Amino acid sequence: MLLLEKDPLNVIITGVGGQGNVLASQILGQMLVQKGYVVTIGETYGASQRGGSVMSHLRISHKDQFSPLIPQGLCDLVVGLEPVEALRVLGPYGNPGVLMIVNTRPIHPIDVISGDAQYPDLEQVLKEIRSLSRRLWTVQATDMALEMGDPLFSNIIMLGALSATGILPLEREDLERILGELFPPERIPANLEAYDKGREAVQEYSP
Amino acid sequence: MSLIAKDAPGQQVLLMGNEAIARGAVEAGVKVCAAYPGNPSSEIIGSLAQVGEDLGIYVEWSVNEKVALEISAAASFAGLRGLTAMKQNGLNVASDFLLNLNLSGTKGGLVVVVCDDPSALSSSNEEDSRAYAKLGDLPLLEPSTFQEAKDMTKWAFELSEELGIPCMLRSVTRVSHARGNVKLGEIPKDVREPHFDTTHPIIPLPVAWTHRSLHDKLAKCRERFETSSFNIYQGPEKPELLVVTCGSSWLYVREAVHNLGLEDRVGVVKLGTTWPLPGDFLRRHLKRAARILFVEEVDPFLEENVKAFCAENGDELGMKTFLGKASGDMPDIGEMNPDIVTETLKRIFRVSYEPRPSEYAQNATQIALQHAPMRQLGFCAGCPHRATYWAVKNALAMDGRDGFVLGDIGCYTLGIAPAGFSQVKTFHAMGSGTGLANGFGQLERFGFHQPIIAVCGDSTFYHAAVPALINAQYNRADFLMLILDNSATSMTGFQPHPGTGRTAMGQEAPVVDIEGLCRALGAHVEAVDPFQVTETTHTIYRLLQKGKGLRVLVVRRECALVRGKREGKLFQVRVDQQRCIGIDCGCNRLCTRVFKCPGLVWDPETGKARVDEAICTGCGVCAEICPSSAIIKEVA
Amino acid sequence: MAENRGLQALEANVIQKDLCAFCGACLSLCPYLRSWGGRWVKLHDCDLAEGRCYAYCPRTELDLDAIHSGLLGGPYEDLAMGPFRRVVMAQCTDPQVRQRAQTGGVVSALMSLALDAGWIDAAVLTRRGEDQLPEGYLVRKREEVLICAGSSYVAAPTLEALNRGPWNGDERIGVVAIPCQVQALAKMRLSALERKTPIDRIALIVGLFCTWALTYRPFMEFVRIRVQGVPIQKMDITPPPERLLKVHTHGDVWNIPLDEIRSFIPPTCGVCLDMTSEWADLSVGTVEGMEGWNTVVVRTERGEELFERAEKEGLLEIRQLPEANFQHLRDASLLKKRRALKALQERGELATGYLKLSQEAVQRILEDGTEAES
Ligand SMILES: Cc1cc2nc3c(=O)[nH]c(=O)nc-3n(C[C@H](O)[C@H](O)[C@H](O)COP(=O)(O)OP(=O)(O)OC[C@H]3O[C@@H](n4cnc5c(N)ncnc54)[C@H](O)[C@@H]3O)c2cc1C
Repeated sequence: MLLLEKDPLNVIITGVGGQGNVLASQILGQMLVQKGYVVTIGETYGASQRGGSVMSHLRISHKDQFSPLIPQGLCDLVVGLEPVEALRVLGPYGNPGVLMIVNTRPIHPIDVISGDAQYPDLEQVLKEIRSLSRRLWTVQATDMALEMGDPLFSNIIMLGALSATGILPLEREDLERILGELFPPERIPANLEAYDKGREAVQEYSP
Repeated sequence: MSLIAKDAPGQQVLLMGNEAIARGAVEAGVKVCAAYPGNPSSEIIGSLAQVGEDLGIYVEWSVNEKVALEISAAASFAGLRGLTAMKQNGLNVASDFLLNLNLSGTKGGLVVVVCDDPSALSSSNEEDSRAYAKLGDLPLLEPSTFQEAKDMTKWAFELSEELGIPCMLRSVTRVSHARGNVKLGEIPKDVREPHFDTTHPIIPLPVAWTHRSLHDKLAKCRERFETSSFNIYQGPEKPELLVVTCGSSWLYVREAVHNLGLEDRVGVVKLGTTWPLPGDFLRRHLKRAARILFVEEVDPFLEENVKAFCAENGDELGMKTFLGKASGDMPDIGEMNPDIVTETLKRIFRVSYEPRPSEYAQNATQIALQHAPMRQLGFCAGCPHRATYWAVKNALAMDGRDGFVLGDIGCYTLGIAPAGFSQVKTFHAMGSGTGLANGFGQLERFGFHQPIIAVCGDSTFYHAAVPALINAQYNRADFLMLILDNSATSMTGFQPHPGTGRTAMGQEAPVVDIEGLCRALGAHVEAVDPFQVTETTHTIYRLLQKGKGLRVLVVRRECALVRGKREGKLFQVRVDQQRCIGIDCGCNRLCTRVFKCPGLVWDPETGKARVDEAICTGCGVCAEICPSSAIIKEVA
Repeated sequence: MAENRGLQALEANVIQKDLCAFCGACLSLCPYLRSWGGRWVKLHDCDLAEGRCYAYCPRTELDLDAIHSGLLGGPYEDLAMGPFRRVVMAQCTDPQVRQRAQTGGVVSALMSLALDAGWIDAAVLTRRGEDQLPEGYLVRKREEVLICAGSSYVAAPTLEALNRGPWNGDERIGVVAIPCQVQALAKMRLSALERKTPIDRIALIVGLFCTWALTYRPFMEFVRIRVQGVPIQKMDITPPPERLLKVHTHGDVWNIPLDEIRSFIPPTCGVCLDMTSEWADLSVGTVEGMEGWNTVVVRTERGEELFERAEKEGLLEIRQLPEANFQHLRDASLLKKRRALKALQERGELATGYLKLSQEAVQRILEDGTEAES
């Protein structure tokens, strides 16, 4: 078992309802349990399909079951499926050592669509994230997913990207096995392709 | 294959709390499982339904919680093991039966799982259903971890069967809707033959006898609890403070104690069996300290019961200082988390703790607040409810008599929010919009002239609206009933119901026809497709204006998510940038500013609307409302 | 922040003050405002700082000098009944038209001719729909003109039909309108706001005389009760001295004294200064004491041309209007103005209200009116 940088290692996957946040955390968790880790995942559900902010808290440990909620200020890694959501979690959970991997495609909240609020400039958001974290990787996951024909691939692309950072011991074979348990066989190749695309994106990004 | 059916004893798997409960039932040899969906409980029956066929378990979605409990009780009466699962509100529905069942007693193990929702993350209230265990003299178990969720469920069947009463298992959102490692146990292969012993009626009478017997059973239950491995003490021999806790709060306490470095000063009593209290076990540990802190969700259930216990055992336990909800040391509403417990312990022990530099904390909070716009809940792109409430809004404006909408529980509850144009003015329990409409519909005799619309979903219709509709027809209540039929129980995860033609286990089923049923009541019934916005608006308007008594309009259009999963987009939608007049007089951003579908984007740079192809599901409704015919829909 | 001149101001200054004339000028310009069941209906809020709904409304701002100089040049001078060339009486020579028309059929005859002769390609008229509910109605053929013949004494959102269209190509449009609508049309034509189609295609405005128009819903409720719920086929108001509302049901005629329906006259008619549709090309009304004859005020060159042609083609018989009738018309017109000014004065809105008129002109009307009344 690869020794984690910290125990527990606290990961937040955040995004907007409908982005496949819960599935991403479930797959990630299963990949780690297969590697022998003790994992706890807390999910903000209910709102998950209805355009609200959605967060999954993952606690990854060598030995202990931790609570499904990460204490304030103790997040080690944020996987942001949406840029503003990534920034938002840093308010309560960030710290100077946090690592960020962020899909850059904004999803406008209805208050922004309606004109009652403003969506900030993306560059500004990324700048703020950089200033509040140890390192930021950006991935154009939704655009890549749309190229593949379905925006829902973006969560798997993000997992692929995460695997390339080397922060967590993620292996393609583990994913393949888990996808086999979750999906009908015909859906597996495209998901693996999405994973690979995400990996490549980060490898190109930080050779 | 689903993990909950996996025959791999000893294997570590990652299970959601609800799946762990389901797995526990499988390991206990459950045969009949019935429930009405309700978050955070839905996945228990949902996951059992997937494996029912393979494992020889009968699983059904019932019309409501009371019927579901009756179905699993019947299995118990026939000697089989039965399970029902519900959210906290559901227990209120089932309680009429439950509070007779406790007296009549059961045979085969019967487990009632209740998943509470502290902080009402996906509920209309945060009631603490543990009160029912006390009210009904029923054994109550509360898991803290996923392993416990599985193991306790299994044990609950055994207890129930041994005692002859239903056993309650109380979960909370952070157990049910969380995931963690679970070590699988054996799946039994034994076969029982169901039989009802006709020589022994199962009835709650005579109460003087059955009530006494129930108390005896509870006393026996307490004995079992004394030795349960689900009750544990962790900490020093003589701690300065003793924390009494249960459920997921235990994990928060452990983490807070650890993070504050208080392991040598704080002892933790974690109870897995919370009613009846295991007195001997408690007595042993309560002696350890004079200061006791209670950490639990939501009501002071342990707090009050343990206080009463201390009073009864005053001689032995001596004076105590109690810290908890009553003393104001813990919040008396909402769910717990590690930070709340940390704060309380920090205060009690006057220790300092800084998980991150305070400057960073201030900065990050400030920046997040400044740059991240709030995301309020709304209907999904392509949701038929948006179109429906749009039609309702227009029809009520056209009618002009200050009419309003009475709602209840389902996705369409969001009609209270801007996403539903704030049309819904009341919502409470399942079906209660229809019930309230019965009442408003009688007020004309006092000079009340506002038109009334009640809304309920298809699933809610079967669950609780039917009796209210019968009442309306019988008593001539005057209102318009909109049944928003999206062919799924969408709020809780698209479970089938009597209108879908499909059972929980995936078999075909007869469709219980909503229109037919309403017509049989004698009501005037029509149906529309909400995506035909103009027609729907005019139909609602006409039904508001005309006639007296109960008028039913079925507004039917499949949930966009269900449809999307199966078939993808209905239309390819785009905005003709030439024709869009944006903010100009004549439009002023009707589609984005007023209609507000998340599939649309307002581009301040071009001053035009756009379609976000990653989100749009192609319902085409915006094309119908665009005043400039700038939104183009083409068959996808 | 600049003062709102959009829907918000329209609501505050007109709707909430009960000054809406329900002329239809603001309706169906956008998805926010509609007429429905005889009511002005706002479907959604609009927050635009400036909008056509406000700009076109005859009760937001009405500057008579500005209108006069904008349309005709020079200041507003004939305070009694607006600019005109001549006033005569006329009647349609076709008895069939007369039979269906309200008075002498001049309006229907002129609109038919204008369509026939290609002066206009389409006309915005008013017809009585289901339940006597009047609505704007678009016609493109002369035969359709008669569908709209006869007056509805209920305020009709006629101009909504102008806004709604649909219009093809560069059709020229004629409108038959009552004074508030004629005022709205004047404001529309002079407005500096964009999206002037179809306003820029208006080629003819025939105005009607009007002292008031009733509010549909309460009026109809009253009538329905009076005729005991029997379906109504037609309603008519007979000229003085009879002055009755005659309600025709299947086989029956119910006579209701006019005084009984006065309470359904909306307050907005009480602050209206125009009885004779002063900004129309021609204005048409009745002739007191002469059934079947119209008073016609010919105002513009265009109006004169059409009127002359109608005479030449033998469609109209034209006679001199007796001097007494002319005087009476002037007096009646002035009386309406005087009452309106007094009403505005009572509301405390003479200086602050919608009307912009010089202090001197106000004074002259008030004095002239006193004379006229005595
Ligand atoms: C509300 C109202 C009040 C009136 N008050 C007076 C008055 O006080 N004194 C007076 O002399 N004359 C009044 N008239 C005018 C009169 O009733 C006749 O319309 C006029 O004499 C023309 O007659 P005609 O036979 O030429 O019209 P017709 O040939 O019958 O044509 C009538 C035209 O009027 C239009 N019309 C009908 N109802 C309305 C409406 N509610 N709003 C707008 N347009 C409508 C139709 O489009 C139709 O084309 C009033 C008319 C209306 C509509």
